This record gives sequence, C-alpha cells and structure tokens, in this order.
Amino acid sequence: MIKVNTDDHPWQSGMTVRNLLDEKVFTFRHIIVRVNSEYVPEEDYENYVIQDGDDIIVLHLMAGG
Amino acid sequence: MERYLRNHDAISASEQTLLATKRVLVVGCGGLGGYVIEHLARIGVGHLRVVDGDVFEESNLNRQLLSSTMNLGRPKTLAAQQRVMAINPLVKTEAFQTYLTAENAGELLAGCDLAVDALDNIPTRLQLQQSAKESCIPLVHGAVAGWYGRVCVIQPGDDLLDLLCPPGCELSAEEQQSGTLSFTAALTAAWQAAEAIKLLLGKPALDGEILEIDLLRASVEKIKIKKTPN
Repeated sequence: MIKVNTDDHPWQSGMTVRNLLDEKVFTFRHIIVRVNSEYVPEEDYENYVIQDGDDIIVLHLMAGG
Repeated sequence: MERYLRNHDAISASEQTLLATKRVLVVGCGGLGGYVIEHLARIGVGHLRVVDGDVFEESNLNRQLLSSTMNLGRPKTLAAQQRVMAINPLVKTEAFQTYLTAENAGELLAGCDLAVDALDNIPTRLQLQQSAKESCIPLVHGAVAGWYGRVCVIQPGDDLLDLLCPPGCELSAEEQQSGTLSFTAALTAAWQAAEAIKLLLGKPALDGEILEIDLLRASVEKIKIKKTPN
C-alpha cells in the first residue's frame, strides 16, 4: 500500500510515477510530484519506480489570484 | 460595539480589541485580495496595508469583487481603500499602487503582524515568501486555478512555496490555461482570511499542511507537507 496525498492506494511491484498518475487520472497539465518529500521531475515519471509504503504527494501547479 | 455584535462569541470581546491593534499586509487586490480585504475589514482588523500596481480591466469583472464597470482603468488599490472606508471606517487603510519587489518588500512589510499572499504569479510570490521570512512575519498563501484552490500558512523559514513551485516552473502554472472562477477565488480567499485571523489571535492555524480545494468534486484535502532536507 502507498499513500497518495491523503488516501491509501494499492501498490504494485514495478509501478512507476507515470503508472500512478494514469491510475489516479491526474489530468492537469502542470503537476508537481514528490515521493517521500523528494521532487520527481516530469522527465523521470516513466522510470521512477515507486516502492511499497512510499508517501506520495501530487499537486497541481497553480498561482492564479 | 454594535458593528461587531455578530462577531461574538466566535470572536470574544478581548479578541476583538486585539484585532483592532493588528496590521496586515495584503499583496494583490485582485480575485483573492479583494475578498481577503473585505473579510479582514468587516471582522475588524485595525490596519490594512494593500499593495497592487495594477488597474482594473474588463477581464477582471468575472471574479474580482472590487471591480465594476464603473472603475475600469482605475487602480485596484484605490478601489480597495474606498471599499474599506465604505464598510468599516474604523479600519485604517494604507494603499500602495506598486508591485512588490525585492527593493520595496521590506518597507511594505515593516510594522505588519502578518502578510497575505493574494498574488497572481510565482516569481513575486517567491519574493514575498523570502521577504516575509527576512522580516520574521507569517504569510498566508492562497492560489487558484479554475475549480481548484489552495491555502497554506508559511511561517518564517518554512519555505513551503519552494515545495509547491519547484525551480523552472515559474511560467507554466495551470490557471494560464484553465482560468479563474469567481466562487473559487471567494472560497479560497475566505479560507485565507480565516487562517489570518486565527494567526492574529494566537489560535491554532494550518501548520506544515496545505489545503487543497476541489470545487468540481466538492472535496477538500489537508495534506501534510515538509521541506526536503537539502
């Protein structure tokens, strides 16, 4: 099991950040991903492998006022 | 005082007196700032220092409380000052028609108990965070994009914005494509104002957490977040 923001989410061996974003249907064009507080750049989404128990934060990049 | 009768007992008499002694800097008088200023003036914060270098445009009318067809082309800070005077003349307002910069931020923050980030761009938000840290002043951050809003409290040294806006992302935020809706700005600003009042009164406020508001799914998440040690 992994944690995504405030929710528990099933973990699968070999799952990548990209797999997770697809599963969770995060559709925003600009997303910030942190795994255990570490920033994951977009170019690493395909290769960054999530481990069981990881704490993942997925946020929209927004700055409007 | 009858004006504040309906603040009681949510705000005690002594807390009401305390609020009258407080000075808050609101940076940005647009979608978020207009509502933040409205709330802080009505509840009775004694001093408001409002900052914005912009004038109203027609595209502001969909969401900015202080804008009207009557004041297009006029300074946002002037509208803010007039609005506060009209709803609560007990509140002293200082208006600065300028943009916050590294050069003027210290002067704008001087003497303030708290700052509210109601800006619309990442570089100036990061500058405000840095300047508030240097002035040891807590900062209430708010941002909106379409149906989504975000609020967090940034204590000096927390640098939470560094986590929300990693290097290189300054020009690609979501609202540039998804726009900004009136109720999103109003709700997010209301939450900012509530956090501001709690901080001014010494009540527990958001701490190392960000509030993610999703009006499309009617949900609010409070996400724990901490700075990466590096």
